[in-house]
Amino acid sequence: MVLVYKSEFYALYQNDIERCYFLDFGHKTIKFSFCQLLALRHKINSISITDHFDSSVNKHGFEVLTLCNKSHLFVFNTLEILDLNQLIQQSLLAVGISIPCNSVACVY
Amino acid sequence: MKDIARQRMSISVETMDLLNNQIKMEAHASASYLAMASWCDQNAFTQSAAFFYNQSVEERSHMMKIFQFVNDCGGSAISPAVGQTNHDFSSLEEVFETALEQEIQVTKSIHNIVNECKKNNDYNVENFLQWFIVEQLEEEKTMRDILDMFDLIGRDGIALKMIDERVTISEGGGETE
Ligand SMILES: [Fe+2]
Ligand SMILES: [Fe+2]
Repeated sequence: MVLVYKSEFYALYQNDIERCYFLDFGHKTIKFSFCQLLALRHKINSISITDHFDSSVNKHGFEVLTLCNKSHLFVFNTLEILDLNQLIQQSLLAVGISIPCNSVACVY
Repeated sequence: MKDIARQRMSISVETMDLLNNQIKMEAHASASYLAMASWCDQNAFTQSAAFFYNQSVEERSHMMKIFQFVNDCGGSAISPAVGQTNHDFSSLEEVFETALEQEIQVTKSIHNIVNECKKNNDYNVENFLQWFIVEQLEEEKTMRDILDMFDLIGRDGIALKMIDERVTISEGGGETE
């Protein structure tokens, strides 16, 4: 397994033999297909992080995410979501499927 | 290290985002035309209603075209949520003017994606979008031609009736690919 990217809390590894990825959440490591990684990216991008700073919208600043077609359930706090976002962005850059942000008009 | 990501997907995630955004736009256009069809039906402009029903189907087919393309590339196409759709129009002319305005926005959006593709040497997507560039030119022309009729024929009761009779489905290209 090769390390793709390590953020403050998490790390993503690539497994060439199984043609998949492993995301180390610290207490648990989960296998991700490329599609599942894209799905995770979509979920994180859909989160309104500003709601975390408005107690009338997101009272406790938590996000509940089900990952890999509902195989896992996670509760993340604001910092963890930001870190996970960083991990996904940087990992996709590292594997060469993402273009550095300043060279493209980002939708998100 | 193998290039697993590239093996799985032949477009960049940013291009995928832009295409998913376009999917949303086409879905919105489809919903918007449906609202226009409803308005025309309620106001007895039967030909125009038929025209917009057809346009609505066409926009959905555009959406599906992009949707399938994203998945064919190994990306993840997102089923779009369509928000509020305007149902209020003060005249038939306003309906067609809104339609033209909407088409112009879609054209701009398509051009923007092509522009990004050129910058990133994304030949596949650029090639795929060529069909949409031609289609948009056609769609804008259709709306413009109908709007021209208001200048030529007039805006009073009988003129509106005459314009409505001249709005035909074939004018929308009738091409639902
Ligand atoms: Fe369209
Ligand atoms: Fe259109």
